[in-house]
Amino acid sequence: MSKKVLEAENVVFNYPDGTNALDGLSLSIEKGKKIAILGANGAGKSTLFLHFNGILKPKKGNIKFRGKKVSYKKKELKNLRKNIGIVFQDPDMQLFSSSVFQEISFGPLNLGLSETKTRERVDEAMQIMEITNIKDKPTHLLSYGQKKRISIADILAMKPEVIIFDEPTVWLDPKHSKEILGFINQINKKGTTVILSTHDVDLAYQWADYIYIFSDGKIIGEGNSEKIFRDNKLLKESDLIKPWIIEVYEKLIQNGKISSTVSVPKSKSELFELI
Amino acid sequence: MIDIDQYAYNNNFSSFHPLEKSFFALFTILITLTANSFMTSIIVIAVISLMLITAAGIPFKFYLKLLFIPLSFLIIASITAVVSFSRELNNYFFYFELGGWFFGLESKSLNTAVLLFLKSFASICCLYFLTLTTPVLEIISVLRKFKLPEIVIELMMLIYRFIFVLLDTADLIRTSQLSRLGYSSIKKSFFSIAKLISNLFIRAYYRAQGLLTALVARGYDGKIRVLERKYSFSYKNIMIIILFETFLIIISIFGGGNFV
Repeated sequence: MSKKVLEAENVVFNYPDGTNALDGLSLSIEKGKKIAILGANGAGKSTLFLHFNGILKPKKGNIKFRGKKVSYKKKELKNLRKNIGIVFQDPDMQLFSSSVFQEISFGPLNLGLSETKTRERVDEAMQIMEITNIKDKPTHLLSYGQKKRISIADILAMKPEVIIFDEPTVWLDPKHSKEILGFINQINKKGTTVILSTHDVDLAYQWADYIYIFSDGKIIGEGNSEKIFRDNKLLKESDLIKPWIIEVYEKLIQNGKISSTVSVPKSKSELFELI
Repeated sequence: MIDIDQYAYNNNFSSFHPLEKSFFALFTILITLTANSFMTSIIVIAVISLMLITAAGIPFKFYLKLLFIPLSFLIIASITAVVSFSRELNNYFFYFELGGWFFGLESKSLNTAVLLFLKSFASICCLYFLTLTTPVLEIISVLRKFKLPEIVIELMMLIYRFIFVLLDTADLIRTSQLSRLGYSSIKKSFFSIAKLISNLFIRAYYRAQGLLTALVARGYDGKIRVLERKYSFSYKNIMIIILFETFLIIISIFGGGNFV
């Protein structure tokens, strides 16, 4: 059993306007894993993320970080925000400075790091995200994809244990989506736990170690990708479609081209090998 | 305005230390304004314009266009300074009479007006030098060095960033209104522009909330701390600035004199 880094226990949260955003939701995130969260708009994904970062406080239930209940004291919140980073969906919402350097330096300075240390962190984050070449350009002259990279570097510079990506590939063209996903995998390989929300079932299937499906503030399904996406009842209930790889695989079994004992291919190349 | 912003980032002086550029512009303005010398102003106008066009790489046509904006104000202001009127005939070198009043030009006031015109024009050139070669961000960083209150600096930083974000939003709203014939008549145009403006306010509010959330997520506690990019001073530039300013001071002292 690996270590649980983040947990939600029966979390209930409603917004002032009465919407029940989270309705007794429980889940636990294992350290170092790649977690995907699927669910329709308004299912409560973003609300949960804000709970993980201590911005929202559950009305009922608890959030646990490293097995310890979050108490919402100032010092503890700071520690939580240091360790749980959120890359927001719209970089234009996240970036507050027109200078790339200033922007990335904000997080590390809030952690109380020295100027030299912060400069190191900023340079390192820019190197990882390959944005060193645009560091002197103002934000408003950059493309959407470049701004997305800056928004990730923002969080990387804080070196959190968990990074949450709120729909990281939305509004990106296939090439840039792939690039961003590459960065996310690279970050995960270095030991950072990654949580990602998405509507893209193909992405979730091929990428995630573990998947949660949200609906109306509750979890209606969880498990590894094979379990989730072969559960027709669950997919129907959650309005999700089947990843194309599984669809082809099931059709192949149906037509007797392969036997049902063959394990489910995880990627396009694995599927091609079967054929 | 947006063009100025673009040139500020893409000119040959953009890598220079912002303090060098600010000192150069401000000292030159100071000397031009204090010196009562035509020569000084003319030299400043010529040198700054030449520097911007040849060395910094600002297109001549664009610079000329920029100069025309304040020129009309300047001319009107100068004319009012030149023309004086009184009941008696002063020592006008040109005048006409209207209903018992004498309107005319005095050589003394003509002198003042021309000097005023040249001084203001030279100062405008200096300001253009600063705005065309120094991005707003660097100007803010200079102000921070001069210990302007944090709150002003933070506001400047955020406003500068969100001018462009809201401009994009306004652009999107306008395009979508245009595509639905929102501006096909004057009445509709007024209606559409009103909707655009009110919508922009709501968006701005929504953005502000989103921004706060994102800042808090990164540990914001009421103070925006950021690091500035490092610039290095160039001794060559500093020498050039010192020499030029000294030259101007000498010219102002010895080259003064009256026009006309």
